[in-house]
Amino acid sequence: MTVLLGGILLAAGVMLYVLEPVFSGRGAPLYDGVDDFDEGAARRRVALTALRDLEYDRATGKLDGDDYEMLKTELSREALQHMGPRQRGGGDPVTERASRELEEEIEQIRRALREGLQCGDCGHLNAFGARYCGRCGEALERDGGAS
Amino acid sequence: MTILGEIALWIALPVALWGAVVSFVGGRTGRSDLVLSGERTVHVVTLLLIVTSLGIIAAFVGNRYEYLYVANYSNRELDTYFKVAGLWAGQRGSLVFWTLLLSVFASIAVFRNRRRNREFMPYVGGTLLGLLSFLVIVLLFADVNPFERMGFTPANGRGLNPQLQNYWMTIHPPTLYLGFTSFAVPFAFAVSALLTGRLDSRWIAVTRRWILLSWFFLTIGIIFGMRWAYEELGWGGYWFWDPVENASLLPWLTATAFLHSIQIQENRGMLKVWNMGLVVTTFLLTLFATFLTRSGLIESVHSFAQNLTIAYIFLGFMGGLAAFSILLIVHRLPSLRPENRIQSFLSRESAFLFNNLLLLGIAFAVAWGTLFPLITEGLFGQKINVGPPFYNRVNIPIGLILLTLMGIGPVIAWRRASPRNLRRNFTLPLAASALMLAALLLTGVRHTMALATFAIAAFVMTIVVTEFWKGTKARARIAGEGAMRAFASLVKRNRRRWGGYVVHAGVVVVFTGLAGAAFDTAVVQELAPGEAVTVRSAFGNEYRLVYESLSHSRPRVAEDARENDWRWTALMTVYRNGERTGIVRPERRFYPVMDQASTEVGIVSAALEDLYVIPRDVDLDSGADRVIFEVKTLPLVPWIWSGGLLVAIGALVGLWPPPPMRAHAAQHRAVPGPLPAGASG
Repeated sequence: MTVLLGGILLAAGVMLYVLEPVFSGRGAPLYDGVDDFDEGAARRRVALTALRDLEYDRATGKLDGDDYEMLKTELSREALQHMGPRQRGGGDPVTERASRELEEEIEQIRRALREGLQCGDCGHLNAFGARYCGRCGEALERDGGAS
Repeated sequence: MTILGEIALWIALPVALWGAVVSFVGGRTGRSDLVLSGERTVHVVTLLLIVTSLGIIAAFVGNRYEYLYVANYSNRELDTYFKVAGLWAGQRGSLVFWTLLLSVFASIAVFRNRRRNREFMPYVGGTLLGLLSFLVIVLLFADVNPFERMGFTPANGRGLNPQLQNYWMTIHPPTLYLGFTSFAVPFAFAVSALLTGRLDSRWIAVTRRWILLSWFFLTIGIIFGMRWAYEELGWGGYWFWDPVENASLLPWLTATAFLHSIQIQENRGMLKVWNMGLVVTTFLLTLFATFLTRSGLIESVHSFAQNLTIAYIFLGFMGGLAAFSILLIVHRLPSLRPENRIQSFLSRESAFLFNNLLLLGIAFAVAWGTLFPLITEGLFGQKINVGPPFYNRVNIPIGLILLTLMGIGPVIAWRRASPRNLRRNFTLPLAASALMLAALLLTGVRHTMALATFAIAAFVMTIVVTEFWKGTKARARIAGEGAMRAFASLVKRNRRRWGGYVVHAGVVVVFTGLAGAAFDTAVVQELAPGEAVTVRSAFGNEYRLVYESLSHSRPRVAEDARENDWRWTALMTVYRNGERTGIVRPERRFYPVMDQASTEVGIVSAALEDLYVIPRDVDLDSGADRVIFEVKTLPLVPWIWSGGLLVAIGALVGLWPPPPMRAHAAQHRAVPGPLPAGASG
């Protein structure tokens, strides 16, 4: 008897909870308040991530100058292509911040390359201030270099 | 509690059906009240299924043998630990457990998305509730009701199958089920994306972590299953190509393929239909694995009961889902067109695509071998089973090519790689591979497949280690960080990539461990107490095992009570190269209630190999305690478990959530002008 009563109470509670929105008219949101997802922003972030990885690949000597230049041009074009009005005007702060961090990192790597850390000959990444490549002894160029 | 559990299951049916209907209707008509009602339903069904599961556990712990399921899988003498695990010991309870886990994941998905991805949620909820409704209907009406009563109450139950009385069995099925059921969420999002027509990268962004989570559980579930087989089945192996093992491998293979091909979609906007197909296929395969387990449709070490009705019901349901998904994909084909084409055969996308084809090739071979008995029975009226030789002959070569690709993929450039790029990146790994091959040949190794595995393993491992080394060094130089900090920030900045490399390293270690099987050695010898057996391993270690004594278990309770098991435990002292390294206690057990015998092996693990002792037979008649022992040395088996651990760690690195974005802080911070990518190079 107790079990049966428990069952009836359980069923009644379940019904009340499930049907309450229909009777009260309360509802769940059908759309996101702020659509925090923007296809363009997502694609741009993917392109920026690929660019960042490309810079690392160049910095670690995995890519030589020609391949790097070619891929960088393509990826940069894609990143710019997806830079719609939302990105230019601010858009969603979380997405924007992620993209900005990627851009900052890319710039950091590129600066390192510009400052001649990367040996144009063997691709070795040298310490700040180095004048000659630690691996092959080649003189390091101050500007341009690998990039 | 048990009756309440049964009532809860009955209540769950109309509630789940209501939820499925109102979710879809709410989504379609824009009725937010119906959508909310549907979402509440998900949580309610979870609660009801928790009560149902507790009801079953209570019946097990309370020895309620009037319930057929409890009587078939438990007895009074069984440890409480295994009684609780009785929930998933048989088909009926397993289905309840599966349904419960699915509802828990559905609840998590609904709760986490209560404010975002709202466009998808009515259909996600509707799909998940539709699945839950189907499972509850099966439980109540398909002759698998866990609460089915017999007309009488037996004094005791039949007991749990001896092979299931092992702690790995309390861990392995739940882990695997977590993998199977969590994949329902990505499937629901895929269906939702197809229904709403929102087929941009959003559904992928939402489900990526779910898929990785599911893959993580599947991986460790499979590894735990291998460990169970190794410890419990007592033949010195870990993979039997058993239909149920195969069934768990199939969704793992397709999920692995998806985790790779999704990167092509993200980076290049290609393979959209393929990826959608992979999500659907993987989910269907999780169902296949579930219904096959214990259905008895195909004979397996896991088939502890036979119920073909349920097999046909699931087959029909899977067929319906497959047809529905294909129709949806065909309907949305115009939105799933690729944005790019593969530019060169020598590119990362090409390597990934090839990797996908190989993974699917293995999946097809495994599925073919698994279903072959059914096919031959249907065509010729006779079941023909294919054994491990078939699987090994087909899958080992494909597996080795896959292993090679695992090295090539990460270092080859996206879009197109120049020969210079290839030379630059592959010279060192190829040299390491050649060096490994030469060293092995010099030491007298002649086993072709093992040689190939070790050489490829050296190739891939060199690439992974070099990647980490170069990456850390570059990061340290560029950011002016110390080595450890540079390593941490490197991984933190791209967890998926570096976590993936750790997974690759783990897989290499597992493959190396598997190749060790080529060098197993074994000796079978009958011994009396005081006698010894000697065996030499492939690594040149000499093991001497002295059989000291045999002990017999005594009744733990009153003399007239039936024991759960009777045990004969041999005590052996192990000497390696003359030095005492420990003792083993291999055991023969007899389960009187089940009228079955089982073997508990003795294992001594070292870094490079395992010593594995199987008591084949105990001479009970002569009273001389003579035992026939099979002593094996199994090189590199410990590497399989270490590799598995590494794979799990890698997956966790990939799964780990990114540091919380301080959105509000970012919002109020002065925004520097965005850097036009490419402009500063």
